[in-house]
Amino acid sequence: MDSVCCGPGYASPTDAMMAPSEKILYTIAIYTGTGIQKPDYLCTIDSDPESSSYSSVISRLEMPGIGDELHHMGWNACSSCHGDIEKERKYLIVPGVRSSNLHIIDCGTDPRKPSLFKVIEGSEIKAKTNLSAPHTIHCLGSDIIISMLGDAVGNAPGGYLHLNESFEIVGRWENSMGDIKFSYDFWYQPRHNIMVSSEWAAPNTFMPGFDLEEVGHLKYGRELHFWDLEKKIPIQSMYLGEDGLVPLEVRFHHDPDSTHGFVGAALSANIIHWWKDSAGEWKWEKIIDVENEPHPEWPIPVPGVISVILLSMDDKYLYFCNWLHGDIRQYDISDPHNAKLTGQVWMGGLLNKAPEVNGVKVTGGPQMIQLSLDGKRLFVTTSLFSTWDNQFYPEIRTNGGCMLMVNCDTENGGMEIDPNFIVDFGKEPNGPSRCHETRYPGGDCTSDIWL
Amino acid sequence: MMRKITIKNRGNITYDVDHRKPLLDSLKANGVDLPYGCKYGGCITCAAKLINGRVNQTAQVALNNRQLNNGYVILCVARPLTDCTFEIGVESHDLLYRNPFTDPLEDHELKADIATPLENRK
Ligand code: FES
Repeated sequence: MDSVCCGPGYASPTDAMMAPSEKILYTIAIYTGTGIQKPDYLCTIDSDPESSSYSSVISRLEMPGIGDELHHMGWNACSSCHGDIEKERKYLIVPGVRSSNLHIIDCGTDPRKPSLFKVIEGSEIKAKTNLSAPHTIHCLGSDIIISMLGDAVGNAPGGYLHLNESFEIVGRWENSMGDIKFSYDFWYQPRHNIMVSSEWAAPNTFMPGFDLEEVGHLKYGRELHFWDLEKKIPIQSMYLGEDGLVPLEVRFHHDPDSTHGFVGAALSANIIHWWKDSAGEWKWEKIIDVENEPHPEWPIPVPGVISVILLSMDDKYLYFCNWLHGDIRQYDISDPHNAKLTGQVWMGGLLNKAPEVNGVKVTGGPQMIQLSLDGKRLFVTTSLFSTWDNQFYPEIRTNGGCMLMVNCDTENGGMEIDPNFIVDFGKEPNGPSRCHETRYPGGDCTSDIWL
Repeated sequence: MMRKITIKNRGNITYDVDHRKPLLDSLKANGVDLPYGCKYGGCITCAAKLINGRVNQTAQVALNNRQLNNGYVILCVARPLTDCTFEIGVESHDLLYRNPFTDPLEDHELKADIATPLENRK
């Protein structure tokens, strides 16, 4: 970003790892589902240890409406436009998954105090594309692609919304959804002309809350889909079955030449690895299986519920959270077929291993994580989705969420919760809110893809 | 036709509303501050608890049969068939959310499209 020669991001993952440390973070906080009739908002958090406002919210940008349920977000441009001097990583696209509104937020003019640039109304998106419930955002050169989990009335499989770089609706991105039953996350590797997408459920299924019985009635996903990126059509689906119930976050290696990637199957609490073999076939295998844990009040053992995974920029470590158990794990995946557990920390969760951290009661469990480009600082938040929070962690309504930082040893492996960083969203000015996804202005480990 | 809507947890305040309009729209037009999200009956954000009266909410797809039996109504699509009394907002959601592992649903308590009908239902 500092360079005058180039567009946004970095020439390579190795270059990205040498970027300066993040001084501020952007994190979503929500009131949807809390009973507080205020808009959801984007927080700017000071993460500069030299600063007097370190570890606190320094500005809040409220959305224009109430009830959006801000969830995930993405940049208008990333390292895939590094060669284009005209481009700038300036706007965060922040969707409301319930309202389908897309908020375009200017983080470039004053990075410490972002402002609302434009709103694309959910009603316009529904009318023009018959899509709703925006989720993952990636920029692909000049285009912005957003996975949409439902049609205009919340039925699966949804599809992909295509915006141009001026944030105008172009239409549907995909040429066909094939036999895909559900949408959720996606990631792509342009050098291999491949995109991989995963499956949550129809908005009408997951938004009201989680009914376990609906998994058995095939209302939740268990497949992974491989796409021809140029033709924009699905070409192969992998049925993961009981090993892959509710496959959520999809991560390719950052190395643009690699075909290896990973997905976390939330309900099975497994990590699935895929790759292209020497015969050119896409393969998958289960590499990590988190055991269910007994709980004194539960009739059945508690599944981990892997709500998120990510890879360090050098593709050496895989991190994930067990939202119900309450642990974050670090695995060395230098050999992607053989993951080795190298670190683990506890915060919140249902197993009562760490109810309080840094003097704050942790309500919820480790949920969204974001890793610094150098791989050393992992920021973690505790809320998953308003209705699901209300089912598993009802006290979050009065306690709010919190954000912690985990220091990661990139040499020998290992993790430790930083004792000096905590943002308690229970103390927000308008009452307890819940924090979710985080992005860093200069890029992070889930924002950039290399062409 | 007008129906009288009483909001129990707002000091029993009453409003006269058009029976053809969704309750969310009518109450909002009267200045009642209500949570909502999708506005097509799929996301549960606008749920309220019906204490008295009857509504038509056949368009909703958010509630399972247990939530319906507990009196929940999806205000963004529900229209009043009679005068009604509600509890509104998150304060009315005490029975709306439950831990799905410790408190599973019976087959007849699932959502309408996958529920097994109760053989001996009266
Ligand atoms: S607003 Fe979504 S169900 Fe009523």
